[in-house]
This record gives sequence, C-alpha cells and structure tokens, in this order.
Amino acid sequence: MLVLALDSATAACSVALWENGVLHAHRLAVMARGQAEALIPMVETVMKRAGLGFADLDLIATTVGPGTFTGIRIGLAAVRGLALATGLPIAGVTTTEAVAAAIPEAERHGRAVLVALDSKRDDPWAQAFAADLTPLSPPAALTPLAVAALASGPAIVAGDAADRILPLMNDAVAAATPGHPDAAVVAALGARHWRNGTALPPHPLYLRPADVTLPAAPFP
Amino acid sequence: MVILGIESSCDETAAAVVDGDRTIRAQVVLSQLEEHRPYGGIVPEIAARAHLDHADRLVAQAMDRAGLEFADLDGIAATAGPGLIGGVMVGATLGKAIALAAGKPFIAVNHLEGHALTARLTDDLDFPYLLLLVSGGHCQILAVLGVGSYRRLGATVDDAAGEAFDKVAKMLGLGYPGGPLVEAAAAKGDPGRFTLPRPMKGRPGCDFSFSGLKNAVRLLVEDLPHPVSDRDAADIAAAFQAAVTDSIADRVTHAVRRFRADWPAGRALVTAGGVAANGALRAALTGLAEKEGLDFVAPPLGLCTDNAAMIAWAGVERLRLGLTDTLDFAPRPRWPLDPGARKLGGAGIKA
Repeated sequence: MLVLALDSATAACSVALWENGVLHAHRLAVMARGQAEALIPMVETVMKRAGLGFADLDLIATTVGPGTFTGIRIGLAAVRGLALATGLPIAGVTTTEAVAAAIPEAERHGRAVLVALDSKRDDPWAQAFAADLTPLSPPAALTPLAVAALASGPAIVAGDAADRILPLMNDAVAAATPGHPDAAVVAALGARHWRNGTALPPHPLYLRPADVTLPAAPFP
Repeated sequence: MVILGIESSCDETAAAVVDGDRTIRAQVVLSQLEEHRPYGGIVPEIAARAHLDHADRLVAQAMDRAGLEFADLDGIAATAGPGLIGGVMVGATLGKAIALAAGKPFIAVNHLEGHALTARLTDDLDFPYLLLLVSGGHCQILAVLGVGSYRRLGATVDDAAGEAFDKVAKMLGLGYPGGPLVEAAAAKGDPGRFTLPRPMKGRPGCDFSFSGLKNAVRLLVEDLPHPVSDRDAADIAAAFQAAVTDSIADRVTHAVRRFRADWPAGRALVTAGGVAANGALRAALTGLAEKEGLDFVAPPLGLCTDNAAMIAWAGVERLRLGLTDTLDFAPRPRWPLDPGARKLGGAGIKA
C-alpha cells in the first residue's frame, strides 16, 4: 500500500511517501509557523524525489490534531484538496498517537506511554497509551498533574511538553524521539488504521471551542 | 480558458468556475451569518473553522454543476489575502493542493483585485476606470489602470463603511449584519429628525472617516430612552444612512475630478463590496456619475458581496498575462492593491 502522509498540526511540518514499511521519500522541518508556505511544496518535492505520480497512490494519511488550530487546518485543507483532485481516501490519526508510535518498541516495553503536546495554554494536550500503544485515555487538555496521574506505574513521556510532566513523576523516563509528529510515522499508522477500519475521518480534533465570549448588551 | 476560484477571506466560503468568455459556469456561496450572529460580528476562529468544514465540498459542488473534471481546468485561483488569515490559509492551501494534484497552474488572487476586476466580468469594461470599494473590511477609491495596476486615490483613515453600519445596527439593537438591517430600518425612518455630521465633507482629497459619525450616533442613542423604540431606531438609521451616503458621495466627487484629470480616457465609475448593495448609496452614485458624465457600473448584488466568481475571473485575467504563482506563496493578512499609497490607520492599513 503506497501512502502519502502529511503533518503540520504542531511545531513541525513533514511529508512522507511510504510503502509497506519502506520510506520512498521524506521531508521534515521544525517550524512554529510557515506551514501554509512549506507544506504543499514539500508534497511536490517528495512526489518528485520518489518519481511517482498521484495516480500511483493508494491512500493519503494525515494528522487531525490535537495541535495548533491553524496548523491542523492547513494539513486538513491540504489533504482534502489532494483527495478531491485524486479521488483517494484519507486516513486520519491523532498527533498524540503519532508521537507515541515514534518511540521504539524496546523503549516502550514495560512502561505506559504519556504524550504531552504544547497547547499554548497551561494545560497541554495529552493522551496515555499502554506499552503496545493501546489508548488508556482519550486525547484531552489536562493539567500537568492530571497528565502525570494518567500512569500509575513506570512510564515513558514524549511530546514537546514532556518537560512539564517529567518532574511530577517518580518512575518516568523521557523519550529520545522528537516532540512532534513525523509524517513517516503517520503514514505507517494511517495504513494500519485504514486496514483495520479504525482510521479517523479528516475532521479537525480541536478539543477546545473557539475562544469567544458572547457580547454584553450595547447599553445596560 | 476555464478557471476554478476559491474564496475564504472573511465570512463567506465560496467556489466558482468561470471561463475566458466571461461566463460563470457555476458558483456556490455559503454564508456563515448564523455562526457569527450571536457575537454581533465576525469571530475569526469561528470563520476559519467553518471554511475548513465546507470549502472542499463547495469546490466539488461547483465542479459538478459546471460538469467539469479538474483535468478540464486551465488553472486554480484562490484568495491569498488580504483578510482573516486563518480562513485565507484554508482556501489558499486547498487551492494549492488541487493545483498540485491536478497538475494545473496556481494563481494567488488578491481578494480586492477580485472586487476590482468584477466589472470586466459583468460589463466587459476597458481600463482605466474609477472604483469605489466599500465593504465591511475595506473602504477605498482606486483608479483601476490594468491587471495588477492600481492607484489609490483615497481610503478610510479609521473604520470601514460596513463596520460603521454594523456598529450602528448593534447600538440600535437591530442585530447583525448591520448593512441590510440599517437599510431596512432607514426605509421606515425620517432622515431629518436627527442631525448627524458628514465626515470629511468639503475637505480636500478623497479619504474617508466614519468613526466620528459612529460616535455621534452613540451619543445620540445614549440620550434616548432604552430599549430604543422602533421609531427612534428607524429615524437614527435614516439619518445615519443619509450621512454616510452624503459623505461617500462628496469623497467620490473629489475622486472623479482627479481621475478625469489624470486619466482622461476613463469612462466609468464602478462600485463593489457589500456596502455597494445599499440602495441609497447606489442611487446617490448613479446621480453623481450622470452629473459627472461617467457611466455607472454596479455589478449585481451577488457579485458585489464576497464570492468566488470574482476570484476565478481575476484568475482568468492573470493567467492570460502569464501571471501564475508558486506553491510556496505566503497568504497575506494585508495586501494593498497600490503598494505605493501612503500608509493610513484603521481599515486602510489592510488595503
């Protein structure tokens, strides 16, 4: 299964072309902003490097969040545009699972996996997984203490907000893997979820409503 | 030549297919009015979310109605600014992705150029012409000299005209959006009962100002019994609409004289933007143009307010000249049509 995967949901931007465990082409750049400029040219580069056309693809995989609202939208607008023009299906995965799945199996062994991603607020986006990546909690915005409490035994903590969780835990180690998703991992996860029928639709996982308050009456 | 256009810079998500023979093959517009109404104005994050939820479906619908495949297109044009950047990014990214996957040129369209060139889509107008662009986010007068070639003759130094309509509607308890609601109330009101200032009237130049008028309405409303009665609301709406119309007509008269002096070949006064839908303003501009010996061109209302046909048409105009854009084009929250124009405050800074 030939999969084109994209991620721009957090502080990075990446694209991968993956086929049954083989990475044909891959681009990743760490960036807090600028994905609206970088993402589509990255797709173009990756397709060219692999010498493949969109007609050769079987699936488009993407992260759906949680992450920055703008980044989530750029990624989803991109995959929806690609899918519309090619007729390809889209498999969505969470950023938290993508960050967890990047940790080598040997490092996860015997430990719960906690992922904490920067949400630009006090409460990071967080999710807990078993060592085999079975979710133990849904992705949610939680206080660092609540994130730490998601694991009762030994844990490995990943994500760009891991530094805020680790000091609160007794038996936890920091993951050596990057704190952001990588499209190479998103591709593998997307393919698996697609086969298992567990892929998410290409809908944004914001986890937080738009930050607005209803206006007061103009005159009391 | 057939171009797909995508618009997502404010509170309308739209897609359209337009060809080089000035035919709109299909167009769909989805207003987000109901999403924003509770807040009495446009909330950027809500707008951006709604654009993502609907933009691809609207593109599919427009293509379907036009009976075309992406392979049949000559290019994909998308609004790349100015506007609410979260929404602009959605439409521009969608357009880039389609362009890449379909192997077609991408055209990054300035939303204001879409408005500015609409009269060539609807009326096949020749350059140069004089354009009054009045909307919720913009208020300016431009000499339209060619594709990508504009001279700004005047712009607002504070609020956009449409912004003033929205704020006055809010003060009068009329609801949102203000333009049509103020106009409806004004139709039942007496414009002579209250006296309001005519901002900038008689001053040299062509700049606008609406914040003083808005404050004058505020002071007036504060002195009235609350809630404001229908009678009072109608009379204030009528007085406000008359003041805005007078002020704009004065500014446009100055602009017409300067335009005729500098570009004597110009034959037409064109209006665009949501506020151009206002009947009183249209009537005043019609009379003004007649007096000054210019043709008055006002595109149909659906092409005055935000739409994607104008974006697709701007794409046609630009692609004809070989003006395409790379896929790393950065969406722009601000994007003046006349980069040489002096900097102004208020809504003028965006455009």
